[in-house]
Amino acid sequence: MRFVSFRPAASVLATTALLLIAAAPSQAQTRAETLRYVTGSSVNTLDPNIPGSTRESFALSMSTYDRLVAFGRKQLNGKWVFDLDTITGELAESYDVSPDGLKLTFRLRKDAKFQDGSPVTAEDVKWSLDRCVTAPILGKAQLLTGSLTSADQFKVIDPLTIEVTLPKPDKLALPNLATVYPLIINSKVAKEHATADDPWATAWLKEHTAGSGAYIVETFKPGEQVILKRDESWNRATANKPAFFKRVIVQSVPEPATRANLVERGDADLVVDLQASDVQSLEAKGKLKVVSTPQYNAITFVSMNNQMPPFDNANVRRAIAYALPYDDMFKAALFGRGSPLFGATWADGKPANGIYPFQQPVKLDLDKAREYLKAAGLPEGFSTTFSFNVGQSSTAEPMAALVKESLGKIGIKVDIQKLPDAQMSTQINEKKLPFYTEGIVAWLPSTDYFYRNFYTGNQRWNYSSINNPDLAAIAQEARFEPDKAKYEEAGRKLNAMHVDLMPQIMLWQPNQDAVMAPSVEGYTYEFHRQVDYRDVSRK
Amino acid sequence: MVKTGLGATMVRAGRRLLSSLPALFGVLVFTFLLMRVLPGDPAVFFASGPNAGKEEIELIRKQMGLDKSVPEQLVFYLSDIGRGNLGRSMMTGQPVLKDLRERLPASLELTFTALLIALVAAVPLGVVAALRPGSAVDHGVRLFCALGVCVPTFVSGLLLIYVFYYLLGLAPDPTGRIDVFASVPPQRTGFLLIDFLLAGDFEGWWAACKQLILPAVSMALFVIAPLARITRASMLVSLGSDFVRTARSVGLSWHKVVVTYALRNAILPVITIAGIVFSTMLGANVLVEKVFSWPGVASYALDALLSSDYAPVQGFVLLMASLFVVVNLVVDICYGIADPRVSIG
Repeated sequence: MRFVSFRPAASVLATTALLLIAAAPSQAQTRAETLRYVTGSSVNTLDPNIPGSTRESFALSMSTYDRLVAFGRKQLNGKWVFDLDTITGELAESYDVSPDGLKLTFRLRKDAKFQDGSPVTAEDVKWSLDRCVTAPILGKAQLLTGSLTSADQFKVIDPLTIEVTLPKPDKLALPNLATVYPLIINSKVAKEHATADDPWATAWLKEHTAGSGAYIVETFKPGEQVILKRDESWNRATANKPAFFKRVIVQSVPEPATRANLVERGDADLVVDLQASDVQSLEAKGKLKVVSTPQYNAITFVSMNNQMPPFDNANVRRAIAYALPYDDMFKAALFGRGSPLFGATWADGKPANGIYPFQQPVKLDLDKAREYLKAAGLPEGFSTTFSFNVGQSSTAEPMAALVKESLGKIGIKVDIQKLPDAQMSTQINEKKLPFYTEGIVAWLPSTDYFYRNFYTGNQRWNYSSINNPDLAAIAQEARFEPDKAKYEEAGRKLNAMHVDLMPQIMLWQPNQDAVMAPSVEGYTYEFHRQVDYRDVSRK
Repeated sequence: MVKTGLGATMVRAGRRLLSSLPALFGVLVFTFLLMRVLPGDPAVFFASGPNAGKEEIELIRKQMGLDKSVPEQLVFYLSDIGRGNLGRSMMTGQPVLKDLRERLPASLELTFTALLIALVAAVPLGVVAALRPGSAVDHGVRLFCALGVCVPTFVSGLLLIYVFYYLLGLAPDPTGRIDVFASVPPQRTGFLLIDFLLAGDFEGWWAACKQLILPAVSMALFVIAPLARITRASMLVSLGSDFVRTARSVGLSWHKVVVTYALRNAILPVITIAGIVFSTMLGANVLVEKVFSWPGVASYALDALLSSDYAPVQGFVLLMASLFVVVNLVVDICYGIADPRVSIG
């Protein structure tokens, strides 16, 4: 990009030279220095901000761009997971939060350079953050959750210092800057490709990168593969070193059985989206390393539409909660690979803590379920449909059959409905499904965030369509609660309401099963649920 | 019917091509309407980031032109098509035309190879079966065909992968057209086998060929049956006819009787079926493409359909319809070559 020039001859020469330089070391690289990562998903844009971008595009952007800050990592039951509470500098060398919590000041690293060699300045940071809150892109809705809404909030103090002002002391402002969207773009390059219709160069950045990340995009074939080359000058890994792998190949392999074969034969190094049954058998063979992490920021639900009869009656919802064969479902759908969110015992009938998601005090108890049905005035039961989407059929299909069988025992007749993915999301958005299973994920999993986003308002993610003003008020208030004890108390209240109202039933948190060659190390479960290629290395 | 020769054939072919335009137009409008009638809002599906709300859905709707009324959308769509623009895929983020141009050669290469393998296997099998009807050979061929048809392509594909890649290690890993570590030849035709030859890279050609064998064989297995059965049936008719009896009675060689007289007369229905098989294979090889991660048009269309991505599905159907027209034309021309009495008109 440095070679944009008005003299075609010079630029051709320069490009050729660049290609030769690029080609020479890539031949010398050995297989051991290359990470071949296979996935069922695919990368469809190089800028994760583009509406419609896939999860794999999110993961890719973590390596091709830097953010101001990044999440740390911690060990959870012996496995590395991202740590929401430790925020370290990425492009920022250090940062300060003012005592009133209204000002965040970031000092940039002096040695940080974009991939074209130009230094990263506060101007670039401001342009990138302005873009994130102004342009019609995905970052806007995300940063909103951290009270970052307007370009006026970002101020350049000097070429290496930027200040972010908040209207309220929002705990989520800083973590938001470590998420996928607020990536820092080389504003000089991007501006060259901006047009009057597209002042933020969204069209150009979809196909090109202009960042300071650990990896440079070598080839990008949307829907097929992306090949990345290490940026040797990038030094944001631990001990100020570049990323480990010289080359990363991200390849789409749609068939899960093929992905399992590839990694078992040693042709692929890492895969995170195998079928539970394949993971089970690969783990039993013991040749490969399997790292199973409960996705602690994701939940699978059985949801009921609280506005639609008969599920508008809390007793019906309670009856369902006691009529689900949890253990069998857990085994059939996930082979037990996950954390169950059922079967707790609350000693004094009160939640143990204020953390959401939590293990609910429900289990299969058909007598209790019948009582609740009677209390709801439906002792004879009723008929309904249970829906799930095609994309989830490997887990949802066996589960649906068990739901149907068990509910049949208390007189509820269930028709199973399998919907194409787009149709399912449309019907959820229009609140037309009475009874279904779906999952959610939150990048910044805190109790108030879950309740505000998934239990309030007439919006898509409120799967149960619950409309409870008390619950909404407590969650809203908790958002800006600086006192930890009071926050915990609010969380307990919300969790108790959840169990009492039973708007939807939390089932489990499925495991992320990362299967890798024994030589691969450092895999970390990230908030975006894909692999951060910078985390892994080879022994 | 009076004029003969190549020029006249071409003129007639052109005329037939023109007469298929209304049908193509019909397909265009029908697919367009069908996609919009199907339940499922692509905007909701694609706005699936963890925070995507109403605003994002509206944004995508506007981007896809879905905020306008259906007749308006149709007019825009048709005028775009007129300018050679098939729209943009939400799924890959690329113009549909570019996607199809990149993926069609992959599908065609696979389908041609599979059809070639199928024909090379099916015609001799059919002939052998017809020469000894009711014999053990005939039954053997029948059994083979039945097995080929009743095993779905993805099962045979997975089995082939299991045996030749997983157990024996003979085949390369079943991920696309070329090994990820290998370099791609300069793109001229898009057909890797041809591009490698043009580049003079025989090692690369062999590598691409190895990638191609398993998916092509699993597709061929499925279509050998109809081809072999039709060859057998029409060979039986042909062998029982007067001219073969005459040829035999005048003591012509076995080769001359069977290949020159009987087979040449029997081949017409085989060509017809091959044409149909080819067109269906192109669209129906989606399972093979999925199993072998083959970057073809069929898996592309299926993914688009599942996510209600309108533009690629419409583009795909248009492409298939056009190909069908072309294939039919080629089949008709082949008729003329196989049997000069037949002329297209």
